[in-house]
Amino acid sequence: MVTLFVALAVGAVLFGIGLYGALSQTNLVMIMMGVELMLGAAMVNLVAFWRFLHPEVYAGQMFVLIVMTVMALEMAVGFGIATGRFRAKGSVEMEEARELKG
Amino acid sequence: MAQAVFTGSFGVAAIWFGVVVFRTSSMVRSALALLFSQAAIGGMFLAMETEFLGVLQIMMMATEMAIMAIFMVMYMMDPGGLSEMDMTHQKRASLAAGVLGAFGALAVALLAGWGPVEVQVPAATAQVHDLGIEIMERSMLIFETTGVTILTAMIAATAIAIQRRH
Amino acid sequence: MMLAALTILGPLAAAAMILLLRRVPEAFALAGSAAGLVGAGFAFAGVSGGARYGATLPGLPGLPLRLVVEPLTATFAALIAVVGFLVMVYAVGYMTGEVGRVRFYAQMSFFMAAMQTLVHANDWVLLLAAWELIGFSSYLLISFHLGRPDAASGATRAFLYTRSADLGLYVAVFVLVAKTGTSQIPASLEVGGAAAVVAGLLLLLTAAGKSAQVPFYGWLQDAMAGPTPVSALLHSAALVAAGAILLIRVYPLLSPGVLLAVGLLGGLTALVAGLAALAQRDLKRLLAASTSNQYGFMLVALGAGVPFAAIAYLVAHAAMKSSLFLGAGIFQQARGSTRLADLGGVAREQRWAFLGFAVAGLALAGIPPLSGFWSKDAVLAASLAGRFAWLFVPLALAGTLVTGAYIALALKSLWQGEGQGSSVSGMGWMGTGLAGLVVLAVALGLALPPLARLLAAEPPQGMVVATLGTLFGAAGLVLGWLVPAERLLGPLRGPAESGFRVGGGFYDLVARPAFSVARAADTLDRGIHARVLGVGRLGLAVAGAAGNFDEKGIDGLIAALVGGTRWLGARARTLQSGLVHKELLLAVAGGALIFALLTIGLF
Repeated sequence: MVTLFVALAVGAVLFGIGLYGALSQTNLVMIMMGVELMLGAAMVNLVAFWRFLHPEVYAGQMFVLIVMTVMALEMAVGFGIATGRFRAKGSVEMEEARELKG
Repeated sequence: MAQAVFTGSFGVAAIWFGVVVFRTSSMVRSALALLFSQAAIGGMFLAMETEFLGVLQIMMMATEMAIMAIFMVMYMMDPGGLSEMDMTHQKRASLAAGVLGAFGALAVALLAGWGPVEVQVPAATAQVHDLGIEIMERSMLIFETTGVTILTAMIAATAIAIQRRH
Repeated sequence: MMLAALTILGPLAAAAMILLLRRVPEAFALAGSAAGLVGAGFAFAGVSGGARYGATLPGLPGLPLRLVVEPLTATFAALIAVVGFLVMVYAVGYMTGEVGRVRFYAQMSFFMAAMQTLVHANDWVLLLAAWELIGFSSYLLISFHLGRPDAASGATRAFLYTRSADLGLYVAVFVLVAKTGTSQIPASLEVGGAAAVVAGLLLLLTAAGKSAQVPFYGWLQDAMAGPTPVSALLHSAALVAAGAILLIRVYPLLSPGVLLAVGLLGGLTALVAGLAALAQRDLKRLLAASTSNQYGFMLVALGAGVPFAAIAYLVAHAAMKSSLFLGAGIFQQARGSTRLADLGGVAREQRWAFLGFAVAGLALAGIPPLSGFWSKDAVLAASLAGRFAWLFVPLALAGTLVTGAYIALALKSLWQGEGQGSSVSGMGWMGTGLAGLVVLAVALGLALPPLARLLAAEPPQGMVVATLGTLFGAAGLVLGWLVPAERLLGPLRGPAESGFRVGGGFYDLVARPAFSVARAADTLDRGIHARVLGVGRLGLAVAGAAGNFDEKGIDGLIAALVGGTRWLGARARTLQSGLVHKELLLAVAGGALIFALLTIGLF
């Protein structure tokens, strides 16, 4: 019981830190780091739920695998974009990315 | 009880390293802090008796963070963080968002009635075996979809990153 | 029967053909009047043999149109047909080279047809219609010379005078038809009492207007602006005869009081018009006044109670007066004017024409054995034998005196002077017509006894009156020849020249008040018009204001809507900063909102 709450609390705080980072950083790579943290927090929560509430349902672990896959993919595509951006503009600072201004 | 302590310690470590990620101005140190944070998360998995996932997490994150460190050095203006520039914006809004998000999740965690807590979990090998059965039987579609998604992402990333010949 | 119908149909067909074909109008006109003459002659012969024809045509409901050929109507028809034919022959010569001959002959033929219809009418509706038509024809023919201003004013004056007098005819017809319930003329005359008196007086009013009696005789002089054939036919023998014909036809209706009025009016006219004739300086106007004078004699005969005398005088006068006019026309062609001053000495150039003119003039003055002597004798004898002999005889004798005087005046003016050797074109035709009528003027005296037998009347005779009449006539001639024109009238010259106006004449008594009433009505009408326009403008102003308000209101609303939407859009645009972190913030906020909604939805 306590462990469940502890894990959930940790997940909550990590999520908050990740959100802060994703919103406050100017660099694309740093933003991605924030997203990684948020995904990690999600994984913590998922594992806690599986372990303490429904250990017989392995869909929980499946979910965690999927989240991990998503983390990896997101990094891959994100860095691909960063590369393209860097080649086009010479930096990956999001402050300068105003092309979509309407 | 011990499980709670271990989980809590790994959790605190994860949190502390997460904070460091955004407080340090050196890029490489950010990447490494993130690595340690993710590793602490993997430790939490281990403490919660999901060995397979824990190991997977630590392994994957190690590789990913290393790659990230390389990319940071490639693309960052100031990888060493020696220029003392403030590379953040909309600090108050994001702080508010983060605090709100954390408190929201905490509120849900504390206030929701989760029901009875299971104490016994299968052994690690049994877990792995059951997870494999799960993947191959019930969640086959998800598995295959994930595979296709990975392929798509690979192709997409390559396509974006390829040098254009003009 | 059909031949009798030719009397009307001949001239009518001629008028139609002339208007349709517009070529050789003279031929058609002559053919039409010849056909009319044949028809009238046939009808007259038949009636003398004792036949009587009638025809009924469908008219208004309950009021069919009737035509009748009986001794009286056949006499009038024959007279009009003969005079009309001869005048038409004359007109061929007179109108050679004139502009608008198609119009002239068509109108003359139409007039002939209308006049014959009037003479033959046996019911009031047809008579009224024919009455109107002859008035209309007279208007058209007087104003024949379209360019001359006196033609238009003369025609208008004629029309106004006769039309105003026609009111009496209409009211009398209404009274008679209402009283008796039938529109047949002989039947409707059988009323008595007040209705008869009223109808009789009204008919007298109309006859006075049409036959140019006092006080309506002014129009006839102005009507002389028309061509001379018109004056010869319409304004001496036919149109002005319609008034006398009307009175003769309704004679059974007239009560003694009305007859007194008729005779008095006729006698007064005979005197006044004769004096006016003396004052004239234009030959045709003199002859016009003479026509009024002569018709006064006819009315005296009627008033004395002997309609046959009036009929006889009408027949004779037609021949005499139209001869005089035809002669005047020849003189007009010779000298180019009808003023007595311009015509001095024309007698010496146109000797044959002057001979005819003189013979007809002497006949008019009543010199035996010309036809005028016989007819004037009949009138004088009638007035002596009638009721108010003490009144009528002096008037008739005075009229005779004046007649002789103005005839002599005319002859003197034509004779005195130098001949100027002018030539007149169309003399052949004109001479033929004139000669025919002069022969009639001479010989009609012989026809009077047979006519009396036909009409079942006693011709009044008397040696005393015959001698008196001749004496007065001769005295008049001598007076007119010897005494200069200026001294002839003496103190009456001024009034005579102005036409014996009373109280300023018709202009001051009738026209001026009518004009002021018209002006007042016009002002009122303008006022109403202005008010109506004002209402309209008010309506327009209200509509304009409404439209304005509507436009501004709705436009304003729409503009406000548009502006508001634009402003909103501009504000919303600021969200699209293109900055990634802002977008991320928005995404997070949206996600939190959805999460909150879902959570609330759970409860």
